[in-house]
Amino acid sequence: MRYDSITEAIGNTPLVRIDPSVHGLRHIDLYAKLEMLNPFGSVKDRPAWHMARPHLQDAAGGDGTVVELSSGNTAKALALLAGMHGLKFKSVTNRMRVPEIKELLLLLGAEIEELPGQSECLDPTDTDDPLTRFHQALSEPGSTYLHTDQYFNPRNVEAHAAGTGPEIVKDLDGRAPDWFVACVGTAGSSTGVARVLREHDPDVRVLGLVADKSDFIPGIRTIDEVHQVGLFDPATYDSLAPVTSQQAIDGMITLIRRCGLLSGPTGGAAYEGAVRHLSAVDAELEGTGRRESAVFIVCDRAESYLSYVRQRRPELLGKARRGHRASSLTGDEIRAAARVAGVDDARRWIAEGEPRPLVVDLRGPHAYAALHIEGSVNIVDELFEELVRGGLPFSKRTPVLLACPVGEKSLRYAALLSRMGHPDVRSLAGGIVAWRDAGAPLVRE
Amino acid sequence: MKDAPLYLRPRVDPPLASLLGDAPFLHSLVDALGSPLNVLLPEVVAENAERFRSVYRRHHLAGRVYFAHKANRSSALVRRLAACDPAAVGIDVASLEELRHALSCGFTGDRVMATGPKDAEFLWLAARTGATVNADSVAELDQLAAIVRQYALPRTDVLVRLSGFESDPEPGGTGTRVLSRRSRFGTPVAEADRLWTALERHAASVQLVGLAYHLDTTGLEEKSRALERCVLLMDECRARGFAPRAVDIGGGFGVGYVQDAGEWERWTTALSEAVLGTRPPLTWRGHGYGLRNEAGTVRGAAALYPAHRPTAGPGYLDALLSGPAPVLGRSPATLLLEHLHDLYVEPGRALVDQCGLSLARVLEVRPLGDGADRYLVRLGMNAGDVSLEEHGVLVDPVLLPREGREPADGGPGDGREPADDGPVGVHLVGNLCLEADLITRRLVFLPRTPRPGDLLAFVNTAGYVMDFHAHHAQRQPSARTVAVTEEDGARRWCPDENYWPLTHPQGASA
Repeated sequence: MRYDSITEAIGNTPLVRIDPSVHGLRHIDLYAKLEMLNPFGSVKDRPAWHMARPHLQDAAGGDGTVVELSSGNTAKALALLAGMHGLKFKSVTNRMRVPEIKELLLLLGAEIEELPGQSECLDPTDTDDPLTRFHQALSEPGSTYLHTDQYFNPRNVEAHAAGTGPEIVKDLDGRAPDWFVACVGTAGSSTGVARVLREHDPDVRVLGLVADKSDFIPGIRTIDEVHQVGLFDPATYDSLAPVTSQQAIDGMITLIRRCGLLSGPTGGAAYEGAVRHLSAVDAELEGTGRRESAVFIVCDRAESYLSYVRQRRPELLGKARRGHRASSLTGDEIRAAARVAGVDDARRWIAEGEPRPLVVDLRGPHAYAALHIEGSVNIVDELFEELVRGGLPFSKRTPVLLACPVGEKSLRYAALLSRMGHPDVRSLAGGIVAWRDAGAPLVRE
Repeated sequence: MKDAPLYLRPRVDPPLASLLGDAPFLHSLVDALGSPLNVLLPEVVAENAERFRSVYRRHHLAGRVYFAHKANRSSALVRRLAACDPAAVGIDVASLEELRHALSCGFTGDRVMATGPKDAEFLWLAARTGATVNADSVAELDQLAAIVRQYALPRTDVLVRLSGFESDPEPGGTGTRVLSRRSRFGTPVAEADRLWTALERHAASVQLVGLAYHLDTTGLEEKSRALERCVLLMDECRARGFAPRAVDIGGGFGVGYVQDAGEWERWTTALSEAVLGTRPPLTWRGHGYGLRNEAGTVRGAAALYPAHRPTAGPGYLDALLSGPAPVLGRSPATLLLEHLHDLYVEPGRALVDQCGLSLARVLEVRPLGDGADRYLVRLGMNAGDVSLEEHGVLVDPVLLPREGREPADGGPGDGREPADDGPVGVHLVGNLCLEADLITRRLVFLPRTPRPGDLLAFVNTAGYVMDFHAHHAQRQPSARTVAVTEEDGARRWCPDENYWPLTHPQGASA
């Protein structure tokens, strides 16, 4: 397929049936609308383009900045669209909670501003939320900000009413599904799709999924947060149900490992929420001879959420690593194997040793540069751990004095290196702190 | 159908729980000393200091925990802290009178940190007694140095308080900009050069011992950025020939007031719904605590203290020290340790967590007559005596019935007392002739209808909520404060001003 612009590739995403042996529903056909196959990677490509298009056409090549309150997919799409039109993009967000997405946005050229946390010493008369300042900046005279306003902009809903909704009906041979399951973020996709489906069949039932209040799922708001969304209308949904991040990851793993769908946690939440809710419906259909259909949205892809998964389910990301590790030594093993040198002995050893020891400072490079023992080399502990995993990093003929801030880490490594066969490695007792407190000299770079 | 009661029941740890369990003791105190009454447990403040110290030990960090005196005026708390390890516990004073009080309670000057807005008398006494001055600005350094020179005072240790980390072009670059609220305190990092110059100019009078910041935020990320920036600036100071040793990261470690996360979540969700009009108001006259309804959408931010906090106090400090730092990558604890810096903290609220409660007598219980089975409960205290509302803290008081008047006993009734023993929603109003004198604007649920003579115990008020806003309007009595100690299972009390950290203050030694 040939296009003049990547924006023409937005939309017309596939609708894929989930194998019944995976979801176990006997009387319901479950379909995934693969919004993750949009060119910028998510369902947000549609509203981002639809909302930004009027601004971009007017402002292209000027010195404007597109701004949006987004820490995820909308920001991603807008950053790319702004870049294509020679404009800047700024994302204002409460917290960038997924580090890979933050880095990805920086790679795309976005500027990111994070709003301050809640006040600790509260002033009850100050009821302006941090966004007040944001809105003031937008309306200042001479402002070149182009605000897409995804939580209130009706074009967010229109993008789905014109695209996502009709595509689903077309792919189901002109019929609306009996069920539509949507995660509620800006409420744009659920509101737009629900509108179109109900025009076809007023009996379509819409299930909205919100994040459990104490939990975090990317792209999904909690029940309190949806009330702050201008596009959110409770009447859109036949019911609202909470999902947890653990369920989101469960769903994501099922879609990835059993369906070949490289879904992120948002899509996983939609799948898991759909199956849980529809199980009861499925039981009622038993014996009636009726078949129903249901559609959920796979919002985006898995790759950006590795740290999200690592935080919550580290066992999904591989086994413990092999090799020599200081952290595996017990207290007894350390005491048995490690040798130490007090500050006075260490000073004598450094001055008069035959041969003199190599002094290895395990602290961070900035701390090392600020103050260190003259003649020492800096191998920061993280790097040192990698080095010794593979074997001894020094000759056995070179005596070694290890130093860390208080002599704890260095003791561990001294024990490990001794156990690995080094004949003369010692830990500086009390570390650099004891060295300083004894008045021994430290130098700066 | 009546809604399930929206409780926000307090977190009560053992020492305070045991005190609350002794209702006859508390009733007898209020009978003797009047309502309102503040009750403090000085032993708990020492235990809290020890909890902060254990975080230091876990990270191998040296330096003092300074109690932010402004959180409570009590002598007992300050004297108990004065009796702690001098190398571990100090006090942060923010006025001349606080400084005098700290010295009179047994703190020596070297354990005192002078912060906040300072006048000449405050600076003189701080310098005279060897306190460390936490300087807010170049002008304050100039003023301090002039006083030291003019009155031939000893060279004074100073920290300089920095602010404006947000607009600071950070070395190394982290890509994103973390916004912060503007502060009236401190010298912007961008103007740090003027500070160094002033410190060099006054080198004979003042000695830089460290850098300080205090950010008014619950956000860990803002704080770890500031902390890391201070570590980098300490290096700049050393390069200029200063020898600073400490990074002072202020306070703001927080307290969890409400025990159960679910109660807090249900209540805050209900507040949004009440503001939207989809459920009856939860507050007096439908107050929204800063939330408002604009065309069916909730706007604004709730001006409420996060009353349920899973991580607060020493745990919050631990999280701050253990988290990643944005530029150098190593945790703040590792950075401080590796750079050989001491850590100073100034907890107020968190150090007096679970240290006390405020008692009020129920004076009148009046049905509101709006059909919802609600009552106005008038107390022998006013909103200044427990300034929950002023600090945005929402938490239920504990009902302590008068002995012999338990409903089961069929106690004496005057015919107007409600018979219903189930949970009931009440509005707590104060003793002032003023519409706005509400102890809390929130509709409070109690497990049963209170009666005149009962006590309400507001738990965990020692941090800012006890006496910060107390006043003498209408010549209403202000609360007396007592210190309660426990020894061999026996509970003793004395007026706050008579407490000293001795085992048998009355000389009744065994």
